[in-house]
Amino acid sequence: MIIGRYYIDQKSVVPKIVIGAVIALLALVPLFTTSMVTLSTLISSGIWSIAVMGFILILRTGQFSMGQAAFMAIGGYVSAILTVRLGLPYWPSFLAAGVISGIIALGIGLIVLRAGGTSFSIITIAFGEIVRIVALNWDDVTRGASGILTKPPAPITIGNFEINFATNLVPFYYFMFFLVIASALFFWQIDRSRVGGTFRSVAANPVLAEHLGIHLMKYRVIAFTMAGVFTGFAGAYYVTFISVINPLIFDLWKSVQIMMMSIVGGPTLIVGGAIVGSTVLYSLGNYLTQLPVANVQYLVFGAVVVLVLLFLPKGTGLVDLWGKFWRKVFKEPEEYEIPGEFSQEDEE
Amino acid sequence: MALLELNDVTKLFGKLAAVEDIDLQVEEGEILGIVGPNGSGKTTLINLISGYYKPTRGDIYFKGRKISGLRPDQIARLGIVRTFQSNVLFEGASVIESMMISSRLQYKTSDWQAFFNTRTYKDEQEKVVGNLLETLQLLDIFNETFRPAAALSHGYQRMLGIAAALAANPSVLMLDEPTTGMNHEEAMFVVENIKKINQQGITVLLIEHNMKVLLGVATRVVVLSFGNKIADGDPYEMMSKPEVIEAYLGTETV
Amino acid sequence: MPPAGIWIDGLVQSCIYMTMAFGMVLVFSILGILNWTHGQFYMLGAFVVYYAVTAAGVPFPLSLLISGVIVGALGMVVEKLVIERLTGPGYGLLAVTAATMALIFFFEGAAGMAFGLMAKGMATTLPGVLDMGSFSISYQKIAVIIFTLVIMVAMYIVLNRTKVGKAIRATAQQPDAASLYGVNVGWVSLIVMGIGCSLAAMAGGIMGPVQSVDPFMGRIPMIMSLLAIVIGGLGSLTGAIVGGIILGLLNSVIAYKISYFSEVALFLLVIVILLIRPQGLFGAAPK
Repeated sequence: MIIGRYYIDQKSVVPKIVIGAVIALLALVPLFTTSMVTLSTLISSGIWSIAVMGFILILRTGQFSMGQAAFMAIGGYVSAILTVRLGLPYWPSFLAAGVISGIIALGIGLIVLRAGGTSFSIITIAFGEIVRIVALNWDDVTRGASGILTKPPAPITIGNFEINFATNLVPFYYFMFFLVIASALFFWQIDRSRVGGTFRSVAANPVLAEHLGIHLMKYRVIAFTMAGVFTGFAGAYYVTFISVINPLIFDLWKSVQIMMMSIVGGPTLIVGGAIVGSTVLYSLGNYLTQLPVANVQYLVFGAVVVLVLLFLPKGTGLVDLWGKFWRKVFKEPEEYEIPGEFSQEDEE
Repeated sequence: MALLELNDVTKLFGKLAAVEDIDLQVEEGEILGIVGPNGSGKTTLINLISGYYKPTRGDIYFKGRKISGLRPDQIARLGIVRTFQSNVLFEGASVIESMMISSRLQYKTSDWQAFFNTRTYKDEQEKVVGNLLETLQLLDIFNETFRPAAALSHGYQRMLGIAAALAANPSVLMLDEPTTGMNHEEAMFVVENIKKINQQGITVLLIEHNMKVLLGVATRVVVLSFGNKIADGDPYEMMSKPEVIEAYLGTETV
Repeated sequence: MPPAGIWIDGLVQSCIYMTMAFGMVLVFSILGILNWTHGQFYMLGAFVVYYAVTAAGVPFPLSLLISGVIVGALGMVVEKLVIERLTGPGYGLLAVTAATMALIFFFEGAAGMAFGLMAKGMATTLPGVLDMGSFSISYQKIAVIIFTLVIMVAMYIVLNRTKVGKAIRATAQQPDAASLYGVNVGWVSLIVMGIGCSLAAMAGGIMGPVQSVDPFMGRIPMIMSLLAIVIGGLGSLTGAIVGGIILGLLNSVIAYKISYFSEVALFLLVIVILLIRPQGLFGAAPK
């Protein structure tokens, strides 16, 4: 279900075949290049895009969470502590990271979503700071400021073919690929299903939605919890990839970065916007940190977000620009969206 | 026993009583008009029944069950649905989208079934969409089905508000001044539709400050003045009661 | 009972949070948005004072005024170029919230590139302590407290006695009615943004000697004053002042009692307050 021009249906902007081609191309990337830079940029972008999808899902209910990096930190610490400090195997720990992050999101959501709106944003900032301070000071568990060196998953041997995460980036790439596809399918499906419509109604007119029988808190908490689960997975995998976790990795700046990625990509499309935004900003950031000017990354990110907001129509981000281009090239009329399933009824 | 019962309901804002010691019985199947000058507590009364406000004193019963203290969504679930005075429903949505969003209560399938798009869910959705189109047809706005809601005329937007409330499957429908800002012709269009809704077996609570509108449609009228109920009975009899005329003098010509 | 020095430190923090929160709420009451960049105006103000005092040799009080003027003007530029263009019909809160948050990093990045990442001290400004027998207060801290009192009195006079202040209060209560009576709401927004930002800048400047000056110094005061606003109730000026006082004192006292997780305790306390009163202490009661 779609509400208005803010929420353009993905298939109306980009045909399925183009999406399929892009996915196929991305699946084959490791065959063309083994360049460390390319692969690690893509891996990181992909992981961040999962967190961005979570952010956009919360945004669908009209809430602006500024503590999403904290859930990445929780996921990261859970998996690091379970694998390194308790010696559990990687994959169960990875699952536990998402589950525990989700449970914490559920608890936090039940408390702070009561406030809602701007207060919610402020409290999520405070929550992010709490997580960072706890990670910094709880030496016995988190090893404080020095952090934990994470372990990659154990090699998997199938016949005489070995998948070794420790020596090669390609397995990392493919698991990222799987993770992004799985998350994308989940978020895309929930966004277009009846639940997604309910989320939007909660954001668009909470008072009316409540009087039409929608329990506002329930849906806000659902969105926040689901985002928490997937953000936890993303965090767990990210720290495995960069092979360390410490309190500095997921600070307030990273939460804001997640928000920035969603804005630059365009929150109208939960999957497309997240992937475009995270890839563009992550690659840009990667390039900027190599420049010999300190802090230029902050400046440019800030400027890019403000410029995107000012010059792309009403905060629809880069994906909408793509949609405009597509319509222009293929001369598709820009008419009001009609959900497919009703068009037959029209003829009755 | 009445379908909806208000027992000594009072709502205070600070020290000011917006409604005071109101006793009200709504019988099944009637069109009850609630009339009174501006500031007499009509909208507060709806807000109290729908759960938007909690009464300071007194209880509200629906089918013998106490509903005061429940959340608006719980009350809507029981079958009491209201409209609002504002035109905007969901910003940016088309008519059918607004209806789809509002039809949440018609579904019995769980959110998980909706998520996985199961057979049962699809069947149910087909049925619900059919119902919604029927509702649009009933209220004569079927031709607008695929237009953006914001592009409709004022009268049609108010009808869409009513249609959205009907989409939530009410047994009691509360309409908050559905004819404000309309000329006589448009108001009559609304009145006709209210009658049609009532014929579907839905009890209607109609808030109005224009007595003329009520005369044509209400089966019973309750008059409020400064938060108090001053009269209750047949609409035509109300017209001649001195206290009603007094309440209206200087504010509205009857 | 913590010693007097702890309370004095708390009071100094209270003063800063109060001034910051006051400016933010003032902006919120007119523009209907939170200016998330407020902490960075605080930081820029501190830098202006630092360079005015150390490089140009301007006297400290005068340099405070200069920073107020310069950063206030910068705030107006931000209002005109960014905020005004992202508010209005068709725009939700999303765009303007995202933009002001992005500006946090724009200004931090700019300050880092222009002034360097090293913390700069200006402790030699206003040296000396006032001996009070059992404890002593540095002149720098006394300056913060006096400054805040002056600012608050000045703001009270401006809002209640002057024409501009009346226009601001009218706009805050009834924007439509105010514009009907000839108040130019666009100008009022601009002026309020200027006032709010110059308050933040002067607060940063006066704190310069107490702490040190660096590009990221605005973050903690920003978070704290945001929390003060939430405690006090979004949109209430009284709430901003009371919230600032409560938070500054609590922060200092909790840090004295439990040094380990003091911020966590503070944040949790804020969350508990909100659980009991989601609208804040002075916020409008929900229906």
